[in-house]
Amino acid sequence: MSHSPVLIIGAGPAGLTAAYELAKLGLRSIVLEADGQVGGLARTVNYQGYRFDIGGHRFFSKVPLINALWQEILGEDFLVRPRLSRIHYGGHFFDYPLKTLNALAGLGPLEALLVGLSYTKAKLLPAKEETNFAQWVSNRFGSRLYQIFFKTYTEKVWGIPCTEISADWAVQRIRNLSLSEALRNALFGAQQAKDGRVITTLIDSFHYPRYGPGMMWERCEELLAGRGAATLRGVRIERMRHRHGRVERICGRTAVGAPVEYEGEHFISTMPLRDLIHTLEPAPPAEVVQAANRLRYRDYLTVVLIVKRAVVFPDNWIYIHSPEVKMGRVQNYKNWSPDMVPDPSRTSLGLEYFLWEQDEEWCWPQQRLIELGIQECARIGLIDPGEVEDGTVVRMRKAYPVYDQHYSHSVTTVRHYLESLANLQTIGRNGLHRYNNQDHSMLTGVYAARNIVGERYDVWSVNTEMEYHEEGRTVERGAGDRLVPGQLARPGTEMSPSPDEIIATVLAKLDPVALGVAVGVVSGIGLFLLTAVLLLKGGPEIGPNLSLLRYYLPEFEVTWTGAFVGLIEAGVGGFTLGYLGACLRNWGIAAYAALVRRRAEAKARRDLLDKV
Amino acid sequence: MVKEYHETDEVSRVVVRIQAGVLALVGALIGGIGLFVMTAWLLIKGGPQVGAHLQLLGQYFIGYSVTWKGSLVGLFYGALTGGSAGWAVGTVYNWIVGIRQG
Repeated sequence: MSHSPVLIIGAGPAGLTAAYELAKLGLRSIVLEADGQVGGLARTVNYQGYRFDIGGHRFFSKVPLINALWQEILGEDFLVRPRLSRIHYGGHFFDYPLKTLNALAGLGPLEALLVGLSYTKAKLLPAKEETNFAQWVSNRFGSRLYQIFFKTYTEKVWGIPCTEISADWAVQRIRNLSLSEALRNALFGAQQAKDGRVITTLIDSFHYPRYGPGMMWERCEELLAGRGAATLRGVRIERMRHRHGRVERICGRTAVGAPVEYEGEHFISTMPLRDLIHTLEPAPPAEVVQAANRLRYRDYLTVVLIVKRAVVFPDNWIYIHSPEVKMGRVQNYKNWSPDMVPDPSRTSLGLEYFLWEQDEEWCWPQQRLIELGIQECARIGLIDPGEVEDGTVVRMRKAYPVYDQHYSHSVTTVRHYLESLANLQTIGRNGLHRYNNQDHSMLTGVYAARNIVGERYDVWSVNTEMEYHEEGRTVERGAGDRLVPGQLARPGTEMSPSPDEIIATVLAKLDPVALGVAVGVVSGIGLFLLTAVLLLKGGPEIGPNLSLLRYYLPEFEVTWTGAFVGLIEAGVGGFTLGYLGACLRNWGIAAYAALVRRRAEAKARRDLLDKV
Repeated sequence: MVKEYHETDEVSRVVVRIQAGVLALVGALIGGIGLFVMTAWLLIKGGPQVGAHLQLLGQYFIGYSVTWKGSLVGLFYGALTGGSAGWAVGTVYNWIVGIRQG
């Protein structure tokens, strides 16, 4: 194996995790970060001692490996924080996740009635076609609730009408609880993963670094430095030279414009796919470039206001659905961690605007954006404009890869081309053009590092095999952890069946045909024997009582002919009973499973907005 | 042919195999105790002609009658018959399932 360092482009969660994993594997790496700060989207920005988080990063993962990594890097500085969030709409604050009574009380009696009617209509007469997000949500919540609680915010975030967002996207984001997991929860009480771990949810609490998410990555950078892995900030990669199916070197410029060049054996990129394609020399075929150019990104802008008030509102964040303001969400950073503000008598608010780079507001000067933020906060009653003593603006380009109608085909084209470069791996949210959470991005970093030492993980599979990863089945190969030898059962002892094995047994189906035949054979032969015994015993009047069965079995009588008639008729009757019995039992089990699934899905939909 | 889809296919595609011995035991318990209780019930109720119809089982179960002694005989025969029927259903069911699954 070569001793040249692995070159990693981007010091976000994916890139730094890759470097961290490589260091654990005994390999050196150099991480090249275009920005002056590490952490990517998960950085913490510090303004006059006020720290803020770009987007609000709750640290939560169902992947044990990632949870262990976070604890390993931060230790005691990894806090458990309570979660409180609400929705602002029409001058009211609504609890989120939605609570029926609170929502109905806030909406008022007339609107509540209309919501109830539209919900009933959705349940009784759901739209048959469910191809877009609007139809998907309306079928589950009713069109009225969709209009109030989902439409505006989703459209603010993504900048496209909900009718143009694929329903598949909702299914991918929401369907995180499989029937298997739902049944485990229903049958065994607490939310349990396959390996028996108790699954917590993001609804009530989450982990958070004391000084914001960037603390995790700054600490990671320090740990890497201690292990000989350098993180170079301010290095922007401009060209990636390749030959004979391998990347040979990358060239760029430092923050002061000095050219730099790095050669390596292995390269990992977290750059947006669109940018990466444009850095390649020689340039890829025209169709690949065109596909890359079709990839779109949603940009993100935060206006931070420093408010002269100790408590502005109790929430971590508030979703702003009200269409009269442009901001989509308001973060209250001191509620994420009290250490995010230097002065407890002050509050820092982050007003989040989801924009396209081409939008007029994107180019507005800082002061104008701050004024917009103050005006909008005052309009919805959060603050008094006179309370704001300072403010700043942070812009994040390409914060969200857009899932439009073309993205899937474009990503496939780009991916196939990049796979021709044997020593280049792309990872992370923008490196895969996938709306990954931080933990999934980190997992791609772990996989990429392990691939360099000869393992064969598919980084593109992360967060596509949704249940596989989210269920925490990651103690198995392919999901992020090493295989460990299993313990042999000792003689005389039995391995306890796993919950899934129990579920598989409980839900096993009876074979209706087999049960029908079995009951039919036993019934037919049984009646034949009953008849034959009486005939063999003989007597003046043979079987007057048994012959009463003719009322149910036509042509049956206690004669040898009747015995055969009874054999056939009781056989058919027995078959029918056995068949129907098995069907009924199977339908009963299926109905129970469907009920459990529906309840679990309803529970999972409670935090739908968090997933938008 | 369109394969039938069950809600539960996602977590279990197993077809039940019946433990014939267990089904025989269940059948024996139901048959034996059932006939004992039916006989005892008629005896406790009493009357001029106790269990005229149940008595007819004596045609098959030698020694059975609607008496306390007969109820114990019935316990034995009921268990034997129920056990045999249960075992036969379990065995035939498993045999058919084996054939159908190839």
